[in-house]
Amino acid sequence: MNQPARALSPVPSLANARSAMERIATQLGRAVQGKSSQLQLVVTSLVAGGHVLLEDVPGVGKTTLAEAMAKACGLSFARVQFTADLMPADVLGAQVFHAQTATFQFRPGPLFRQLVLADELNRAPPRTQSALLEAMAQGQVSLDGATHALPAPFTVVATQNPVDFSGTYPLPDSQLDRFMVRMSLGHPTPEVEAGLLVTRDGTPPLDAVETVSGPEELASLRSFAAALRLDASVADYVVRLATATRSHGDLERGASTRAVLALGAAARANALWDARDFATPGDVHAVLVPCWAHRILLRSAVQGVSARDEAAHLLEEIARKVPAPR
Amino acid sequence: MRKGTRLRLVLRDLGSGFAFASMAVSGQLPIWSLVLYGVALVVALAGRRPFANRVTLTALLLLAVALTLGTNVLAGSLNLVVAACAFAGLISAQRLLSTPDAATDGQVHLSGLLMVAGGAALSGELVYGLFLIAFGVLASIALALGVVESAVPEGEPVPVRAVMGPLATGVGFAVLGAVAFFILFPRLNWNMIGPSASPGLGVATAGFSNTVRLGGAGTIKGNPRIVLRATLSPDPEKEALDAYWVGRTYDVFDGMEWSNARATSDGSESMTTLRPGRENLIHQRVELMPAYGARTLVALETPSRLGNAVANTQVGSRRTQIHELGGGEVRFRDSGISYSYEAYSLPPGASGDDIQDLPPEEQDALLSLPEGLDVRVGQTAARVLNGERDPLAAARKLSAWLQREYSYTLELSGDVPDPVADFLFQRKQGHCEHFATALTLMLRTQGMRARLATGFFGGERVTGGYVVRAGDAHAWTHVLVPGRGFITVDATPPAHRASQSPRLLEQLINFYEVVESQWRDVVLDYNFRDQLTVVRSLTRSHEVPKKDEPPSRAPPPRAFGAALLAAAAAYTAWRLLTQFLSRERPLEATRFADAVEAQLASARITRVDGETLEALDARLARERHPLSPALAPVARRYLEARFGGRPLQQGEAARLLTDLRRAVLTESQRVASEGTRPPQARAS
Repeated sequence: MNQPARALSPVPSLANARSAMERIATQLGRAVQGKSSQLQLVVTSLVAGGHVLLEDVPGVGKTTLAEAMAKACGLSFARVQFTADLMPADVLGAQVFHAQTATFQFRPGPLFRQLVLADELNRAPPRTQSALLEAMAQGQVSLDGATHALPAPFTVVATQNPVDFSGTYPLPDSQLDRFMVRMSLGHPTPEVEAGLLVTRDGTPPLDAVETVSGPEELASLRSFAAALRLDASVADYVVRLATATRSHGDLERGASTRAVLALGAAARANALWDARDFATPGDVHAVLVPCWAHRILLRSAVQGVSARDEAAHLLEEIARKVPAPR
Repeated sequence: MRKGTRLRLVLRDLGSGFAFASMAVSGQLPIWSLVLYGVALVVALAGRRPFANRVTLTALLLLAVALTLGTNVLAGSLNLVVAACAFAGLISAQRLLSTPDAATDGQVHLSGLLMVAGGAALSGELVYGLFLIAFGVLASIALALGVVESAVPEGEPVPVRAVMGPLATGVGFAVLGAVAFFILFPRLNWNMIGPSASPGLGVATAGFSNTVRLGGAGTIKGNPRIVLRATLSPDPEKEALDAYWVGRTYDVFDGMEWSNARATSDGSESMTTLRPGRENLIHQRVELMPAYGARTLVALETPSRLGNAVANTQVGSRRTQIHELGGGEVRFRDSGISYSYEAYSLPPGASGDDIQDLPPEEQDALLSLPEGLDVRVGQTAARVLNGERDPLAAARKLSAWLQREYSYTLELSGDVPDPVADFLFQRKQGHCEHFATALTLMLRTQGMRARLATGFFGGERVTGGYVVRAGDAHAWTHVLVPGRGFITVDATPPAHRASQSPRLLEQLINFYEVVESQWRDVVLDYNFRDQLTVVRSLTRSHEVPKKDEPPSRAPPPRAFGAALLAAAAAYTAWRLLTQFLSRERPLEATRFADAVEAQLASARITRVDGETLEALDARLARERHPLSPALAPVARRYLEARFGGRPLQQGEAARLLTDLRRAVLTESQRVASEGTRPPQARAS
């Protein structure tokens, strides 16, 4: 793990917060090119303290992105490839008998890192999934009566393949709710792909990423964002949006209370991009679809890309219908 | 002090002022309370609240005033209701000058309501209604502004202008409420100070006092107010009646004043028989109007019976007793604003009175002469009569002589020591009282019994009945003719007997009388009893119950219908009111955003459906619109003001809008110049 290139100050001001976020996004852009808006969303979610669900076909840079995040932010990193035979202990860790002292000792699993990439989460059996998701929600691991705190800041970047669902265990809807945003990177543009061919000289793209932040700065960024002002009218707007999803005819299930809280947190973090110390309806709009599209359940429950697009389309329509505070 | 507070306080204070004025117009409040309240109101309107720091002291002052008022009430020099009204005014004045906080506001409005109620008790005049409505309007606007003020966050200016529009609805409700209050609140008008608090132009006649001072009543001759309405049967069917309406007679003259020898009789009943009845009596249904100002019953000469007396008071009409006084006067026992009764009179030319029927002291009085009467009176009478001994013939001869030799005037002779001598030998002109007095005294000097009669002469036909005006007040002579009784002889020249008011004025007064009559019937007389009657008539079924069925104890369907209607009306009013109150009022920042969007629209930049100013600003920035740099700071400031808790400063919105307008102007000029410039051929 690289040491931070320079002394990082905690975040005392709006301008500092914004520049810190831009610094991180810039570094991510070195690893994943041509995806600035997605990277911005990743950073927003990181600052809002949420976990990210990357949903995409293989080979578009999901793993690279997660690793770049860990490197740019100076976070400890672990990658877990989820497979059908993965047991909870493989993720959480296990009590190991220590022969010399004749005692059981806890050996932490790969989850005990500040940034964990859970690759192809839907391939793991439900027990393992739920162990991970519980850890995500609680920020701690309970094993054999003992509680083990996860390192702070703790963030999970999970991936799943939206197309190939055969032999997988799709995440239960209630578990999906634990991810702050779901997003897909998509294939790079032809220009970017061509550029990759030309410029890549065998060095892995992660080498270009510099560590520009640290866990302390990220923690202070998070507390700074959580303290931003959310006007009563904006809060009311968020709730009205949730109500609209709950009463929508095409929806089996609307946004949950956790979804409402997540949208508020993401909107607050989004305000930092504009160096604002308050969230606006525009911030809510900016994060609405990535925040909620995976949390609402369509009546014609079709898995895959079309359902995802359908959910996004519905949310955009609701956002048009529910009047924003003026 | 926040903007808007001042306006609200001024409205509140003015409302209180109108409430006080509604009591003050009754003219019954003590003058010092008027002055104190007036000073307090002026000081309050000037924005000074000198009592704010002296709460205890001024409350003690109020206590002292209360004690003073209480002492006055106990001493009988002040009516309790008047004292209570005056005290309410002073409480209001003290509150006006105190700290303008929420509690004080409530107390000012409450005392205003009390004063309006006091005004209703003291006065029922039209102008009271106007003050009531003014109070209702101002107080409700002030209250509504108070509500708005408390809803607006601290630091943001009160959107007075935006609120004023919707307030019009509230004001409509207030006016309706005030009118309802005015109609429904029973008016008491207890006639507290003066003998009469008659509405309108005030008391018109000198009334029927116990004495007639010679020359005292001449001024009323030009007063066209209607004092009496009567329907006669049989109907004489004449346009102008030449009839004498007698109120009372006088038999003793002391040189200055006429009075009566006989004192008041004690009897009191609902019908008084003055003379034995005969066939062919003329029946009259008479209404004495408020302008009459007295309680004496009036009837066509010669009245035989008077009765069925009804007094119309502020709390309703009721049968009342009448009693007979000296001089044939019959008077109502109870006071009212108007009276109605029936009268029966002997036909003209007949009389049942005879000398034998009169008590001895009255018989003597009919011949009495004042001490020190000018000897020339008797000499002149003897000379004119020239030996005529028949009383009626003598009276007619003297009357003809007076009418020939003397002229009529309404100018008063002034306070002269001997008015009869002054009339007969100095001025040789006078009005009816002079003529009648001269004739009566001249007859007495010749040993003929005569007395002075007062009442009205004439009668103008109006819609089937007759009206008599205050200017018709008249005095004439009754001469006692043996065997026939008292016969009327009028010495006043015939042209000057009836009212002498200008015709146009009479017509105007007729119009006013009609309005006032309606006012009295619809508003003043619409009292608690009438309200009950209306409620009863709404709830009482007019159907005759069938005989076999026991009468139902349940209220009739009409009652349910009326209750349903009332409930529907109340519900509708409540809905409208809550809708109005819960309507979202635009914030200042939102209005600013509206103004910005209006300016952008003038540059043909319109927001698409549902797009906020924030989204519009983002879109323009994406499109690299030339106005985007100008709009960005404005939109940013809007967001800060609306969602960031940093309200716009005084004048900031205007400045930002000016900057934006300048940018819009520059941009539109640029577009225009590019548009009009012909494409230039580029030489290659």
